[in-house]
Amino acid sequence: MTAFLATVVVGIGTYLSRSIFILALARRRIPDSVLVTLQFVAPAVLGALIVALLTDGDGNVGIGIPEAAAFVVGGAASYKTRNHIVTLLVGMTVYWVVRALT
Amino acid sequence: MSVDRTTVRRAIGDALPLYVPAVPFALVIGLAIAESGIHPFVGWSSSWLVFGGAAQLTLISLLGSGAAVAAAITAALVVNARHLMYSAALAPTFQRQPAWFRWLGPYVLIDQLFALVTIEKVQREEEFRTYYLTAGATFWLMWQLTTALGLAIGPVVPEEWNLGFAVPILFIGLIVLGIDKSSKLVAALVGAGVTFFAAGLPNRTGLLVGAVAGIIAGTAVERARA
Repeated sequence: MTAFLATVVVGIGTYLSRSIFILALARRRIPDSVLVTLQFVAPAVLGALIVALLTDGDGNVGIGIPEAAAFVVGGAASYKTRNHIVTLLVGMTVYWVVRALT
Repeated sequence: MSVDRTTVRRAIGDALPLYVPAVPFALVIGLAIAESGIHPFVGWSSSWLVFGGAAQLTLISLLGSGAAVAAAITAALVVNARHLMYSAALAPTFQRQPAWFRWLGPYVLIDQLFALVTIEKVQREEEFRTYYLTAGATFWLMWQLTTALGLAIGPVVPEEWNLGFAVPILFIGLIVLGIDKSSKLVAALVGAGVTFFAAGLPNRTGLLVGAVAGIIAGTAVERARA
């Protein structure tokens, strides 16, 4: 139930972020300083998320050699191919192989 | 109202190829729901309640890992804050449209649709409406189907594969695709680094501290250069 309510809240918030200027503030421009800041939201949050997802309940970050290798090679694959499928396949393969070797 | 079939066909033809890169993303969301312990239907309902991959993945993974609900909601909303830019950019176009469309349209305003209508530059108002809604409905339908497919595949995959690791890999891919200047790289690195050192904070609030630090760092670098 909590998970569903949380999803509803995020759904409403997401709709508002997509609609607010279209519905309410059409004649208002976003100040340039806010636009400058907004572009850093995605990279900063995604960077933080990666670490948060690898953190266990006791606050220990579980990044070992297999994870680090997968990030470096997967990131390079993404840069080269700009393709999510390739990134996923390469990253997971490196992760599995290095994990089996270490 | 007669439907302009040429525009409908063109919208579907533009939307489908653009959807292909999102397929693994949708599958990973399905897998993440299966792994999170959240009821499958509740998890999948995020596909139509939120309809935004990065926010869905953030919410589901954090709830599944035992984060505080407030922290999970805040993180998911922060991820989706980029939509404010889309909303502002399309506001003048929507001004010339009827009210029902101004209310319905934003619901399907995802990254791909924004990219399409920004590139396409459809001039006539009715044609824009048909194009926007057809492409939006195509993305929406595909998203519901492929996230459900991932959910069905999830329990079949052996646990020792640790497919949950696909989520951070996918995020690395998203970061790399989004970084077009060094200040964004700084934002990502500071976001990750500060979260690492704040990992011991209760209820995974370290994530928010790290995200804010990353945003401030990126903005500071940008300002210093300007």
